[in-house]
Amino acid sequence: MSAVEHQGVALGELEQAELPVARAIRRRRPSPRRVGLRALGIVLVTALLVFMIGPLVWLMVRAFSGLWQFPDLLPHTWTVQWWRSVFADKNLSHSIKLSFEFAPVVTVVSAVICLPAAYAFARLKFPGRFALLVSLFATNAFPKIGLYVSMAGVFYSLHLMGTFMGVVVVQLIGTIVFMTWIPTAAFSAIPRSLEEAARDVGAGPLRVFFRVTFPLAAPGIFVAMILSFLAAFDEAQGTFLVGIPNYITMPTEMYTLVLNYPEQAAAVFSILLAVPSVVLMSFARKHVMGGKLAEGFQIR
Amino acid sequence: MVLPPVAVVAVFIGFPVGAAIAYTLGKTGGPNSIVASIAQRQHVAKHGVTTAAYREVLGNSHVRADLRATIWVTLVTIVVVVLLSWSIALYLRLSDTWIARVVSALSVIPLFIPVVIASYAILTFYAATGFMRTLAYHIGWHSFPTLGYTLWAVVIAEIWVNVPFGVLMMSSGLNSVPNALIEAARDSGATLPRAVRSVLLPMNVIPTVIVATFTGIYVLGSFTVPYLTGPSAPNLMGVSMQQFFGSFNQPQQAEVMAMIVFVLAVGIGTIYVWANVRAAKRASSST
Repeated sequence: MSAVEHQGVALGELEQAELPVARAIRRRRPSPRRVGLRALGIVLVTALLVFMIGPLVWLMVRAFSGLWQFPDLLPHTWTVQWWRSVFADKNLSHSIKLSFEFAPVVTVVSAVICLPAAYAFARLKFPGRFALLVSLFATNAFPKIGLYVSMAGVFYSLHLMGTFMGVVVVQLIGTIVFMTWIPTAAFSAIPRSLEEAARDVGAGPLRVFFRVTFPLAAPGIFVAMILSFLAAFDEAQGTFLVGIPNYITMPTEMYTLVLNYPEQAAAVFSILLAVPSVVLMSFARKHVMGGKLAEGFQIR
Repeated sequence: MVLPPVAVVAVFIGFPVGAAIAYTLGKTGGPNSIVASIAQRQHVAKHGVTTAAYREVLGNSHVRADLRATIWVTLVTIVVVVLLSWSIALYLRLSDTWIARVVSALSVIPLFIPVVIASYAILTFYAATGFMRTLAYHIGWHSFPTLGYTLWAVVIAEIWVNVPFGVLMMSSGLNSVPNALIEAARDSGATLPRAVRSVLLPMNVIPTVIVATFTGIYVLGSFTVPYLTGPSAPNLMGVSMQQFFGSFNQPQQAEVMAMIVFVLAVGIGTIYVWANVRAAKRASSST
């Protein structure tokens, strides 16, 4: 990775060094226009800042607010009482625990089911390959509520309603597309010649996979796993329909909170629910930004 | 190796969708018998199939209003997300200042935030007592509209949620255009807008199609965003489906609405598949 980056930097410098004319032309821009552009840029960036961050900051302030009346930009009194009441509530802390049990299980099950398929999609040309990739995509196109309504029939007959496995299955469905597409792109991006070279020097197929293929595909798989974890962690509708009354996870609880609790309690709970996403995505940030997510969405 | 995920999809999605299609056409037996046993206002076909449920749902003026609202929100969101993510990605591609780095960080923040929370945060931000109205009040604009619980709030939240994917796709597409191509266009006298139009634009068609189609499908099927931020009626189809199923106990009507949304989503999805097939063919013929 870093070697490639260095190469890129070096190339960039080379290009600039070789093209002094282009650079000189660019420098000779009229300066008032430049100032205007810069000002416009700052206004637009500020607008983007308010649009993107504003709602989150507003929510944060709300979580610590006591008395707060309309035209005031900040609360009159500040308090941490909402945090205490959320942590003291047995239902809420239980749902936090449940969420952290389901999401890892779903992620692992999804990986076990989907990663071999992703490898096959990337490496083998079999009849129906394209149709199968597209049909996985079609699962995204059917509205979830409609799916859950008719899925109930299957779940009742398999005795999955209200069980741990039932919730795992319902959350699993939302992860399959990520877990297949993104690793497929990751495996496809590895040159076959690398694997062949390893085999030529005497490595067995398993050894080739675990020493060459897997480490190279790891960033893509990592992004897929984080996205799956978060998809499972955030899934509310299906979990509500299947899990009730035994398994109420955090996002499911969130609906109740928004509708029935004081706004501040909902704000506190929101922040708690966002923590795992923020932490996990921070780990994956580099790869997600580097195009691992984007690559997964082009079917080849 | 491909079998396990395909089997999961077939059993837990393919089969229920098939059953749902049969149910909307009046088939209440087999896998639909449990749902059908408690449902109200069902249209049952004794022999063959009946389209009575479709006629009832499409004849309902509230549902038609929901459908129009869904299509409107979807189209507005697609257009704004494509334009916004194009501009951000283009800016990031051509600029390397600290502002560009700030913009790049800002545009992916929604990825980090669960949709439930985003919806709730946006609702309070644009509510009657929210930040936008407070700020407008202080600068003397006392009649700033309350956007919370309107379709505008739904549009805003859908845009917020979909921008990161758009920016990541567009950036990835634009970054794959070599610098040399842009430099070459500029050296031969093209202005920057001209270089963008005739070099970057045609090379970024596929990512644009992907962003537009995925955003469209996401908005069509969305529930959490319109449920938390939108008005009681007309709202998006996802919410009314939930109402018909949960509140009115009319699962058949809910399934009919799911079918209508599905048909729209498949229409959008076809564009995506067609664009990918075309790109794959072109790639294989050029190498």
